[in-house]
Amino acid sequence: MAYASRFLKLGWSKTNPMPTYDPHDSYHHHDPLAHPPAPDAAPPGYYEIMETAIRELLVEKKLIGPGEIRRQIEVLDSRTPALGVKVVARAWFDAAFRSRLLANGRVACEEFGISFYDDTELIVLENTEKVHNLIVCTLCSCYPRPVLGLPPDWYKAKPYRARAIKEPRAVLAEFGTIIPDDVEIRVSDSTSVVRYLVLPRRPEGTEAFTEEQLAALVTRDAMIGVVPVILETGSPL
Amino acid sequence: MTQTEQFVNQLPNDIGGLPADRVVQTDNVLEPWEKRCHALADVLDFHKILSTEEKRRGVESLGSDLVAKLTYYERWIVAFANILFQKQVLYPDELAKKMKEVAARYSVNPTP
Repeated sequence: MAYASRFLKLGWSKTNPMPTYDPHDSYHHHDPLAHPPAPDAAPPGYYEIMETAIRELLVEKKLIGPGEIRRQIEVLDSRTPALGVKVVARAWFDAAFRSRLLANGRVACEEFGISFYDDTELIVLENTEKVHNLIVCTLCSCYPRPVLGLPPDWYKAKPYRARAIKEPRAVLAEFGTIIPDDVEIRVSDSTSVVRYLVLPRRPEGTEAFTEEQLAALVTRDAMIGVVPVILETGSPL
Repeated sequence: MTQTEQFVNQLPNDIGGLPADRVVQTDNVLEPWEKRCHALADVLDFHKILSTEEKRRGVESLGSDLVAKLTYYERWIVAFANILFQKQVLYPDELAKKMKEVAARYSVNPTP
């Protein structure tokens, strides 16, 4: 809080008010990541201006490279649940891969061609007849981003974070998931360095499926553990 | 437990187990600046300038009042500013000056 106060005091509270938009000042395009504003576009908000200013100062001080943010945005854009879906389908299809995945999630994913851009460990939790896994980050929003991309909003919001560890069955019911009472529910709480991914149960009736057909059944929410993977009756597969 | 004792035992981010509303399955698409903010967090972590855990604590130290009023990425960028000041990587006056400069670039065109 001390720093927040100092920031506000020295920044722009009384003597140095928040930057204003001067209509007579001409537009200079210095920000390689921003598009020139459309004539009727709303000007960027206070926090967007803060983001641009911090990034540019860090580049000017040569603490980060000028292209690094752009490259990392491309990395973030390349991460979607489609990667996790492939991992799950491979694990269902290939028992040896499944063993390696459960032994060390990160190493097995890297072997599968999914790079980890951060210093996180990945623990893959296998759902069985007796155990149903659910992942959460009670403190903030830690998530297996290298394999699933960014988390959904509800994963970051208070209701899920607060309740998943205390009343997981009630939370699952809100996703339409009813877990039988004789199945144990294990909730794993992520940290900044340890992330989890749920390996859902392979649905019955998929014994003859190809890896691609299996992949088509897997969803993001199943890899968080809030829903099972189901084989829809009348499925075209 | 008194209210202050409750605060000491459970910092603002530590909400696991508290009563809360039903889960509403919302999702949204990040605005371009929010995605840049996310990428900035990753890049700061790669360079060991600011770690994910420092960011989390930085958000927590904003206090629950401010946390409740800011959006997810607004909290991040304000936490980054405070932590970078704390580490003397950036200084408040230079950020204020740079923000003024950035704002000036986006001046509204005078109507013809």
